[in-house]
Amino acid sequence: MIEFSTQTKKKLEECLTHYPTRQAALLPTLWLAQEEFGTVTLEVMEYVAGLLDISPAHVYSVATFYTMFHLKPVGKYHLQVCRTLSCALMGGERILDHLKKRLGIEEGEVTPNGKFSLCAVECLASCGTAPAMMINEKYYENLDVQKVEKILDELK
Amino acid sequence: MALVLTNRVGLKDSHTLEVYKKTGGYASVEKLFAMEPGTVIEEVKSSGLRGRGGAGFSCGLKWSFVPQNIGKPVYLCVNADESEPGTFKDRLLLEEDPHQLIEGIVIACYAIRSTTAYIYIRGEFDLSYRRIEQAVKEAYQAGFLGKNIFGKKYDLNVTVHRGAGAYICGEETALLNSLEGKKGEPRIKPPFPAVAGLFGCPTIVNNVETLSALPFIINEGALAYRKWGTEKSPGTKLFSVSGHVVRPGTYEVPLGYPLKDLIYKDCGGIPDGKKLKAVIPGGSSVPVLTAEEAEKTFLDYESIAQYGSMLGSGGVMVMDEDVDMVWALRNLSRFYAHESCGQCTPCREGTGWVDKILQRVLNGGGTLEDLALLKEISDNMMGKTICVLADSIAMPVLSFIKKFPADFERYVRSHSAGGKMRILG
Amino acid sequence: MPKIKLTIDGKPVEVEAGTTLLQAAETVGIQIPHYCYHPGLKLAGNCRMCLVEAEKMPKPLASCVAPVQEGMVVKTNTDNVISLRRSVMEFLLINHPLDCPTCDQAGECRLQDYYMQYDKIPSRFHEEKVHKDKMIDLGAGVMLDQERCIACTRCIRVCQEVAGVDELCLSNRGDHVTITTFPGKELSNPYAGNTVDVCPVGALTSKEFRFKKRVWFLESTSSVCPGCSRGCNITVQHQESKVYRLLPRLNSEVNSYWMCDEGRYGFDSVNDHRVLRARINEEGVSEEAGHEDALVELASLLRETSLSEIAVVGHASETCETLENLQQFAKNSLKSRYFFYSRFDPPHPYSDNILMTADKNANQKGVDQLGFKPLSDLKSAVGVLVLRDLTGQEMELLDRLQIPVLAFFAVNESPLCTKAKIVLPIPSYAEQEGHFINVQGKKQKIVPAFEPRGESRLVTEWLNDLKDLLESAGQKKKIAC
Ligand SMILES: Cc1cc2nc3c(=O)[nH]c(=O)nc-3n(C[C@H](O)[C@H](O)[C@H](O)COP(=O)(O)O)c2cc1C
Ligand code: SF4
Ligand code: SF4
Ligand code: SF4
Ligand code: FES
Ligand code: FES
Repeated sequence: MIEFSTQTKKKLEECLTHYPTRQAALLPTLWLAQEEFGTVTLEVMEYVAGLLDISPAHVYSVATFYTMFHLKPVGKYHLQVCRTLSCALMGGERILDHLKKRLGIEEGEVTPNGKFSLCAVECLASCGTAPAMMINEKYYENLDVQKVEKILDELK
Repeated sequence: MALVLTNRVGLKDSHTLEVYKKTGGYASVEKLFAMEPGTVIEEVKSSGLRGRGGAGFSCGLKWSFVPQNIGKPVYLCVNADESEPGTFKDRLLLEEDPHQLIEGIVIACYAIRSTTAYIYIRGEFDLSYRRIEQAVKEAYQAGFLGKNIFGKKYDLNVTVHRGAGAYICGEETALLNSLEGKKGEPRIKPPFPAVAGLFGCPTIVNNVETLSALPFIINEGALAYRKWGTEKSPGTKLFSVSGHVVRPGTYEVPLGYPLKDLIYKDCGGIPDGKKLKAVIPGGSSVPVLTAEEAEKTFLDYESIAQYGSMLGSGGVMVMDEDVDMVWALRNLSRFYAHESCGQCTPCREGTGWVDKILQRVLNGGGTLEDLALLKEISDNMMGKTICVLADSIAMPVLSFIKKFPADFERYVRSHSAGGKMRILG
Repeated sequence: MPKIKLTIDGKPVEVEAGTTLLQAAETVGIQIPHYCYHPGLKLAGNCRMCLVEAEKMPKPLASCVAPVQEGMVVKTNTDNVISLRRSVMEFLLINHPLDCPTCDQAGECRLQDYYMQYDKIPSRFHEEKVHKDKMIDLGAGVMLDQERCIACTRCIRVCQEVAGVDELCLSNRGDHVTITTFPGKELSNPYAGNTVDVCPVGALTSKEFRFKKRVWFLESTSSVCPGCSRGCNITVQHQESKVYRLLPRLNSEVNSYWMCDEGRYGFDSVNDHRVLRARINEEGVSEEAGHEDALVELASLLRETSLSEIAVVGHASETCETLENLQQFAKNSLKSRYFFYSRFDPPHPYSDNILMTADKNANQKGVDQLGFKPLSDLKSAVGVLVLRDLTGQEMELLDRLQIPVLAFFAVNESPLCTKAKIVLPIPSYAEQEGHFINVQGKKQKIVPAFEPRGESRLVTEWLNDLKDLLESAGQKKKIAC
């Protein structure tokens, strides 16, 4: 049985005060759950459903609708490379190809040591500083292959 | 150029309350509270401010649809979901001048008599999120939010709510559903949010840029705002320029500004001496312009409409002569297929179908019939769905094929000519 | 409510404000095709099959959600509207598996129906279809084929709005939307069968009914569910003397469009375990008998006792007409004043605030109105005539009071079949006409779906013959039947 830490429970209580319904706190609660458990598994979804008095089916439909919840484990560094037009015009496809080769994984996969996972995402609103990617929640912009190499080297 | 929205951009610590106040921030508040809410709405109406989220609907007019005294709370939702490909202007305002937005929120809430606002910010935004959270916190501490704000008999609570990765949540009713803890599925209209929105209560959804223009309008007056722009498209607007220009970035220009100047003067033209081929002027959802059209049009709602396109979100995507328009269109079709919420039949099925056909064409397996089919599918998607996401790919498909036929024919000609006509069935 | 005037396909229509175009069209007999719209559920407006045109409107309107407006001029059958429908059909079919030959929805599939009406063009889709799971046992007797789902959300809404539980959902988005329960959980609400009814395609089918019969071979008869005192209105679907399924039938005052699963799957008692021939039990030996012999035997048994001290035992699940007949027979032929009744009393009857009542008898109000008394009130009698069944307790009571069961009018096998001296087969509710009075006091009619099975005869017929026999005072008389 999983459970939020006392600290997270406090955060949730605070969060609930901002909304007239418990259900409205679903996205914030899933965020808290992802922070705490790393992955939003079925068990996590059922737990969240219980916390907010909503059905597990509802939580499942929501968790699978949004792209940022990790339904499966991701690497310590989750690389999300923009694939949309402005980045693609500036060579974004090369960045993604390079990462695949360099890490030896395809989109949606995790390196065997669990350090990196890779996925392509849609426009990150960094089109003016394209190509762009996110590693975990941090933005990296104006990328080229050399820059990507340097960034990877610095990730411990 | 000191204008309306971006005056603090680039100032050191422009995102802090301290710098904001030092540079004239929250000055509109005294004036605001001396006005009746109805008067504020009138002032905003006469400024001619139009929604900057994409639709360009009159801001003041929309506010006036909120029914008063029906015993339900009124909500303001700030649309900070900025996910339209090619658009990154709200991000700039959130990162560089979050207090300007908060001041705008105070004005809007006062006008529509709302005491609760939610800022719905896209889940990917990190710095923007931290900046706006921090600014909200500062504003609470300073008594600018919370109970009796600015010492007046007026309460205002603001909550920052993070999305979680879904373009469609930028559509205002999908945003409301998302805020209520549901999937981001657009709602059937009517009822419109102004009448029955968040939690079934009257709700105004406004874009970050729309709200950020309000402090100026209240401070300086509607006429001052109308100094810029055209009669029907007054004021200034942010344009995010990306793609093949020397200096991509966000630019604030008066509406009616020549697109040509934006590209060649402000952004330094096309790199490496290449020629301009195409411009998507208002975010990826609007019809594409040829180089010739782009060089002739002005950046206001009416001028762009003359070329069959739209100002949209102001995301200007510039493509040079080397860009393969089939490849570019397929990039966009993949986006829309990925982002369709999946409710309506034509959009759910059509976005995926268009994407698969374009992918096949790009791989060399297309025929002339495919181009005809793409046009027909697009026609069958347009105007037939709950929200306009379906139109948002139909319009690019139709305009790309119409305006850049050579690019498409190059792909399919060899195929069709070889007599390998596809047998229907 | 103010009235709104508009025209639809040239016909003037006047309806209340707030009426949708689709409903307004129905009032003048114009049917607009639809998938997601269901008159008993909240509006979804997602399938777009119901698009129509209205003058001065730039875009077509989804008629199931668009409210009427004064002076509107609506057209539901222009070339353009027809082509809109064709295009929605095309979109629905591109990712649809071509399962028709093996799909149990055949014959009642809206995709097939509308395809014949509107589409009828060969597929222009040459790409790889989206694949999902098939043949999923969802629980509660419901089978799911995710590929056939058209995402209309009717089943989700029926669970939410009728059963009051949120068990089904569409996961993911775009053309990957997938209908499912929470992974690992079963559909488990007592109204789950309604999801099968509302599913316009073959995505949800009934495990019980699947592949038993192609629907076009079935006949339909209007009836009332005898499963509890709600008396949901139903359609009995049958072929010859066999019931294949029960479907709810609209009655907005009783059950709306719905019925519970207990009632839906409770037709075993019509098909199976039936008593189809009369029996004579003598000294522990049970022998089948023709109805004539059985009646003669019964008449002589009766004549050996004091008729007026015979008690008749009706049943709270029998029709008013049968009960009346029994009562008349007791009064007139037996000169008895003892009218009792038995009822089904399962130990923990399920009930809720939706449809299911704790009273699992269709006609309690009927026995009450006729003045029948609970059998537990019985003090003494020389013998009883029993209709349908007795509870274990009631049988013990008879044993204790040493009252013999002279005759048992039986639908189904029961311990009484050996206990009673004479067993006479009677038809089930599917084989007779009559009325039940439901918990709200509504008198509702049942209609025979087929002739009484086997040698079963209506209680009335048995009693009329018995009366004749008794009246022919002692002398053996040939009875006509
Ligand atoms: C598919 C779709 C996506 C949208 N995305 C955004 C968005 O990211 N940000 C935004 O402000 N408006 C977006 N809009 C427009 C909103 O629906 C709405 O018109 C706007 O937030 C209203 O604010 P405004 O009047 O201040 O422009 C989108 C609309 C559609 C149909
Ligand atoms: S048009 Fe597309 S995105 Fe919009 S509601 Fe319909 S399916 Fe969803
Ligand atoms: S399973 Fe049937 S009822 Fe449910 S959404 Fe799919 S098509 Fe509609
Ligand atoms: S609620 Fe009662 S009457 Fe209705 S279907 Fe169920 S058992 Fe039959
Ligand atoms: S296209 Fe990559 S950030 Fe916008
Ligand atoms: S029936 Fe109207 S949209 Fe489905």
